[in-house]
Amino acid sequence: MMTEMLKDKEEKDKGNRNRVELQVQTPRGLWNQKLPKDAPVRPVYEKTAKIQQIIDDARTVFKFVENDNKYTLFLGEQQLEPTRTIVSYHLEDETLLVLSVQGGNA
Amino acid sequence: MIPPEVSLESIKSELTDALAYVASVNLETDVSMLSETNLRFYVTFHNRDGNKFYAEFNCADYPVHPPTIEFVNENRTERGAKHLYPNVFHPTPCICMRYNRKAHGEMGGPHGEWRLIDWQLATPNGGPIDSLAMMVSDLHIKILSATGRMG
Repeated sequence: MMTEMLKDKEEKDKGNRNRVELQVQTPRGLWNQKLPKDAPVRPVYEKTAKIQQIIDDARTVFKFVENDNKYTLFLGEQQLEPTRTIVSYHLEDETLLVLSVQGGNA
Repeated sequence: MIPPEVSLESIKSELTDALAYVASVNLETDVSMLSETNLRFYVTFHNRDGNKFYAEFNCADYPVHPPTIEFVNENRTERGAKHLYPNVFHPTPCICMRYNRKAHGEMGGPHGEWRLIDWQLATPNGGPIDSLAMMVSDLHIKILSATGRMG
């Protein structure tokens, strides 16, 4: 019994180590484990997930439906490449990312 | 003409998101003078070299009309000169976006084809920018890539 419980805990810990809980500030609000209340998904990712997935999910949560705008994810002033993985940027739990929305130019 | 108290209420309701965004990208704001008689606030942007650009958002008649966004000097005694602008905007000098009142022909700007009341529509080569926080986001990423001043 004890061995099984330890095994379960080990599996759970392993799963947690492979996932990361992020926060994303957008011009329409903050996205984290609690906000916004009605978010259909939370920013919890496998570390092998691509940055593009976070951008897509943040757009869904805040209804950024305008495809003509340019959406970019920043860590501080570092622009994150959409094709790279989360683990390649060594993002830790609670890291704050910023979704930037850029319009046109006349 | 929008009653100033209506504009102020609208600005305040949008500032929550705008100020949170501003803080997350390490920009500075000054909303200390914002009132019914002075519907202005300020955001200090910077490029990757750390050059600072001081933007004034004059939100009279907001949200029916867009704000007038103008670059000023640090102590706000000078405005609209080329050397106050990052080199990523129209050389008028002007931020040529629908969300900037100065860009509209009705206000003497280069875009006679735009109407002030349509300010939330898309500017060419992009989608709509329809709130103060979105304006800050758009300006932040553009100014970040500036290599220097316009003049």
